[in-house]
Amino acid sequence: MHFWKCNNNWGDKLIYSWKKIVKNGIPILTICICIEIFAGQILQGNQNKLFLIPIFLISIPVVNGIGGNIGSILGARLASGLHTGLIELNIKDKSMRENFFSSLLIGFISYVALAILIYYIAYFGNIQMNIGLLEFISIIGITGFLLIILVSLISVITAFWAFKKGLDPDDMVAPVVTTTGDTLGIIVLFLLIGAIGI
Amino acid sequence: MFAKEMLKQSLPLVIICGIGGIITGNTLGAMIDLLEDIPGLIVVIPAVIALRGNINTALGSRLGSAYHLGVIDAENLWNFELKQNIMGSIVLSVLMSLIIGVLAYVSSIILNVYPDPLKLIAIVVLAGILSGLILTFLTIIIIYIVFKRGYNPDNITGPALATFGDVFSMLCIFGSAIIIGGIN
Repeated sequence: MHFWKCNNNWGDKLIYSWKKIVKNGIPILTICICIEIFAGQILQGNQNKLFLIPIFLISIPVVNGIGGNIGSILGARLASGLHTGLIELNIKDKSMRENFFSSLLIGFISYVALAILIYYIAYFGNIQMNIGLLEFISIIGITGFLLIILVSLISVITAFWAFKKGLDPDDMVAPVVTTTGDTLGIIVLFLLIGAIGI
Repeated sequence: MFAKEMLKQSLPLVIICGIGGIITGNTLGAMIDLLEDIPGLIVVIPAVIALRGNINTALGSRLGSAYHLGVIDAENLWNFELKQNIMGSIVLSVLMSLIIGVLAYVSSIILNVYPDPLKLIAIVVLAGILSGLILTFLTIIIIYIVFKRGYNPDNITGPALATFGDVFSMLCIFGSAIIIGGIN
């Protein structure tokens, strides 16, 4: 293993060790995996619906991805705001609310734009569809809007809670938000598909 | 004032990442026959995608901090600290993939679905090793370009690695399912 030991220009002052990285990563990653497996079991339980209308299968990474990205961006901004003192640890803080509502707006625009794109890619890619454009946009749009509200709330709560506890919100928000976002995204999507009755 | 800049910078980024998500989704759509043939395979997909994102964004964010601390830069990139980081990420990838396979198998049995344990775990671990190697390599390239151009790595590596991570982990799962599914 001398490959990993050569070229040490920093004497004794080493910052990283792979053993420490692995040790720090295992607990948080294991928790995330357990929650994601739960999301996966919901997919498996509903897989007949997904195979019947594959456009929803294609949409899942997009629905989850947008939710996670917006939650992480909001969290990172709140963390910077809290660190610099621009945002106060108060649920009535004006900057926090502006950021929160901007996230809802960005989320809603992104979901509708990408729903139209997915629909036409599926249409021209000859993917089997038993659903109209408006019906599809409303399902993805409403799913997205509900998901963004939930994810943004979780992001604010996690950032504020972490900051209050003296933990770095930068470390906490991203894993919490992406993991809960994936699970909530899949749950909300199937609830809506069920409610509309496809 | 604070929020307008967020709309301007984040909206295009979120939409571009969404297009990466569509590529991931279409790969998933192309896998329908495999998903039907191999029970339990659909269970591991959210976990594998999330794992790649978590490990690689953490790697990117550590390398970002290392850059700000002056430990690595474009001229002194391939050093001991970088190797420790790479080693840590690859060991985590393999270990966590194994845990995903085992948990997916056990939870499926509880829910009365009976996957082939060896096949399922082998697919996840092979996909974990393949995507771990590809994405670590990509991370180093992205970090090198970012350092060379003098950008702030914190602004770029997170979303870029999360999106590449989704696409490549999905392709690797697809590839391993074909290889291992075809063995018997």
